[in-house]
Amino acid sequence: MSQDDETQESSEQVEASSSGDQLLPQLVAHLREHRAKLRDEWASRIRDAHLLEAMTPQEMSAETTSVYDNYVEVLETGSVEALQHYARDLSERIIPRGVETHEVVGIVLLLRDVLARSLFEKYQRDFGLLNRILDAYEPAANRIANTVAVSFVDERERVIRQQQDAIRELSTPVLPVRERLLILPIIGVLDGERARQLTEQLLSGIRTHRAKVVVIDITGAPEVDETVANHLVQTVDASRLMGASVIITGLSPTIAQTLVTIGVDLSKMNTIGDLQGGLEEAERLLGFTVTRKAVTDGS
Amino acid sequence: MSTARVPDEPAQPGGAVDVAALIPMLRRIVAARVGEHPAAEDLVQETLVRVLEAEDRIEPGMIEPYAIATARNVMATMWRRKDSESRNRHRALDPSVPDEAEDVVVASEEQSAINEALRRLTDREREVLLAHEISGQATRSLAEDSGSTAGAVAAQLKRTRARLRVEYLLALEHTEPPTDECRPVLLALSSADRRRQREVDAGRHLLECDLCAKLSQPLLGRGPLRDNEIHVAISADPDIVAARQAARELAIRAGFSGADLTMLATAVSEVARNIVRFARSGEVTIELVDGPRAGIHVVARDTGPGIDDVEVALKDGFSTYDGLGLGLPGARRLMDEFNIVSEPGHGTTVTMTKWFDKKGTA
Amino acid sequence: MNSGPALVSILRQGDTLVASVHTALDDSEMVRFQNDLVSRIGEHRARGVIIDVAALDVIDSFASRTLRSIADIARLRGAVTVIVGIQPEVAFSMVRLGMDMGDVPTSLDLEEGLAYLARVNGRAAGGRRG
Repeated sequence: MSQDDETQESSEQVEASSSGDQLLPQLVAHLREHRAKLRDEWASRIRDAHLLEAMTPQEMSAETTSVYDNYVEVLETGSVEALQHYARDLSERIIPRGVETHEVVGIVLLLRDVLARSLFEKYQRDFGLLNRILDAYEPAANRIANTVAVSFVDERERVIRQQQDAIRELSTPVLPVRERLLILPIIGVLDGERARQLTEQLLSGIRTHRAKVVVIDITGAPEVDETVANHLVQTVDASRLMGASVIITGLSPTIAQTLVTIGVDLSKMNTIGDLQGGLEEAERLLGFTVTRKAVTDGS
Repeated sequence: MSTARVPDEPAQPGGAVDVAALIPMLRRIVAARVGEHPAAEDLVQETLVRVLEAEDRIEPGMIEPYAIATARNVMATMWRRKDSESRNRHRALDPSVPDEAEDVVVASEEQSAINEALRRLTDREREVLLAHEISGQATRSLAEDSGSTAGAVAAQLKRTRARLRVEYLLALEHTEPPTDECRPVLLALSSADRRRQREVDAGRHLLECDLCAKLSQPLLGRGPLRDNEIHVAISADPDIVAARQAARELAIRAGFSGADLTMLATAVSEVARNIVRFARSGEVTIELVDGPRAGIHVVARDTGPGIDDVEVALKDGFSTYDGLGLGLPGARRLMDEFNIVSEPGHGTTVTMTKWFDKKGTA
Repeated sequence: MNSGPALVSILRQGDTLVASVHTALDDSEMVRFQNDLVSRIGEHRARGVIIDVAALDVIDSFASRTLRSIADIARLRGAVTVIVGIQPEVAFSMVRLGMDMGDVPTSLDLEEGLAYLARVNGRAAGGRRG
């Protein structure tokens, strides 16, 4: 390439004339000039590293071009603001596609390396100049990597928070079955954190639905450790303080054993084998006549 | 004197340091500086609390030097706080209104200190830290990338973070350590590496180097004192209500909600009542903390008669005055961390924390 | 009770006393409340007492115990006490603290409390159950 020849010839001149301030413009000009080649090389490194595989080739090409241009712009202006906006925007688009943090950090670091290598090739004959060019380039490049990573992670955290809120709502439904009666079906593994959320939802559900009876059905909970069992007992007690009776259904022998182990007096808990029986008991407590008269309710 | 620690925090078996043994020495140091100042005993207590908080992170031989450095820091902080306090204080509450302009300056200084600290890491350290810190899940894939194990990457990350803390504090101070010993010592403190602390003789260094003595506090203790802190003097029944309301307000500001707020307020109510009943007067300090996680830290301190047997006092149903039996054990159950130090004849200090991020607690 | 806005009000409704706590009470105020209420129970020969604590954002060990002892004393004087209006977060904190209301009945709110008293004190209240 003619550019390279020219550089070799004039490298001494360049060195003589370039104070620190002029290094970056010189660098930027180089990166602009070889934009197409460097961008392609970067794209192929991204493919080799199996990064951003969730994106189509067209998207890749469009995004890598934008990132490249933004990158060079930051080097030129020293302001990361535009890059920040772009990075946030990009993150918003690619996060739903399942792009991971390490991929985003990875591609920016790849670009940093591709560009550094091209600078190295261009200036390798003049070690002093090369050193100064890299000194100017590296902090700026690291700052860019930092900015992109932080923007991506901020955005990702925001999305995760949103999703968590949504999941939380879904996974702990407090169902008002009929007037004054709530059912809380517990499905899946309970940990301390989820047990807490459940309790808070149940207690505030008691107030909003003016519930007098609560049926907690734990048929769908595979296991309950001591912490969660304790929590269950506290939930029952707290519900009582709010004036609601609690019926627990679907208590497996293992969970019953756990409760006994931590010193719970099961006779003080209203436990009933299955949900159907629990609902009948609830109706009895509420003072409604059991609707299905076929069942003889003697005793 | 006896100390008791809640079991959720892994205690050091047999490693309980006899902090009481420090008291006479601390009294001498404080008296030498402030004389018969009425706050002298508070300063000693404050120092003890901080030493206790750092106890897990320092090797036993360093306890004494660290206590001395801490006492000096605590006294310096008191003088600094004094004039702002005399301006703001009205009766019991001191809600330390944050100065916005100042906050902005502080924030931008912190930002540039962080950038500077990041810059001082090696490229590799920075890459791994950025790629991980942030995503939280990448340890394994980082290990794959570098052909290493997840454990090794985690250890490397731990070292990097420790370095980052040190460099951050140095950048914030706009200073370079005066001796070659400083960085290794600071690093050993920051990483809570007791073996290294012994190797570099960190204790002796703290006594000789003012800069490191000063930095030892944020590296080992709670971090520098900030405006996010409320003091409520406790001497009568209404102060109990004032203390718990102050705690609630601060916690709302920190983003607490729901049952957490009520649990915190209830626990504060219990420890404040203990002061009124047992000691007649004392103080409750409520403080926002952001490390290792965001939370509310409560210190209830009195100079009353003390509790003879803290273990017994923490048992349900223990009662030393009519009807009480749930105050301390109850407060312990309401909070995530709980610690009590009592010295018969000199007073009791309860420290407790509620974390905002609940991961891993019940 | 006191000068300033009333911290507590005690109203009579037939043979029932309805006591509402309007704001956070400190321990001495709590004790004063207990004394006032107990003497009113005697004065009015009340058969039922409702204590509405909906305005309390904290019920700590002292408050719990005071409420229970009011209920105990009332029982000795022939009155049934119902505590109503315990807030969800307060209920949970009380349980964590290790306090409960013992045998003292609790209801969701005033309406429920009155219905409960009507039931146990043997008067028809809409005939929910036969």
